[in-house]
Amino acid sequence: MIEDVLVIIGMIMIGVGAVADLIAAIGMNRFKNFYLRLHAATIGTIWGAFVPLVGAALVATGCYCLGSYRWFVAGGAIVTAFLVLILAPAGSHALARATHRSGLVKVEPCVVDHLNEEMCVKEG
Amino acid sequence: MVAFVLYIIRALKGPTISDQVLAIDAMSYDLAAFLVVLSIFFREPILIGTAVVLALWIYALDIYVAKYLEKKEVGE
Repeated sequence: MIEDVLVIIGMIMIGVGAVADLIAAIGMNRFKNFYLRLHAATIGTIWGAFVPLVGAALVATGCYCLGSYRWFVAGGAIVTAFLVLILAPAGSHALARATHRSGLVKVEPCVVDHLNEEMCVKEG
Repeated sequence: MVAFVLYIIRALKGPTISDQVLAIDAMSYDLAAFLVVLSIFFREPILIGTAVVLALWIYALDIYVAKYLEKKEVGE
């Protein structure tokens, strides 16, 4: 009984992750600017990778088809989910900070930029 | 599957190097999740180790590119 509930919840989480992944990829192609594409990348890493990894761990816990290896698979999935949850925002932050510091991309729809006024491109 | 193709398009045509690295980042984290799902689907528990290693290497790529953009050297 509890195994079926775990498998169904895990399947729903994997489906949500697939849809979020597609939305993030479309956004990655539709946004105009590097700093705007960071939003799409955040959706793609947290909702597109962390949620399906937790869902896969739940499926592996509830599925007897893997035999005695199911705790191994579930533990590996949880470890990977934790690593993605910690490392993906840190990596995006480091990349955005380096891009802004090296002046590679201008801040395009900009109101105020206290770090470097020359990077700010005002509208109109 | 369509998502991977769209990520690859952005990774190939991104105007700056940050766009390419960001697209490869997001794609590889999703690839790690996809590997875990495949390991359940094919009943191959050995595939789970590759996902952990892939996530860690992509973080290393992030940090190296960020350090290069900031200091113009890779450092030790």
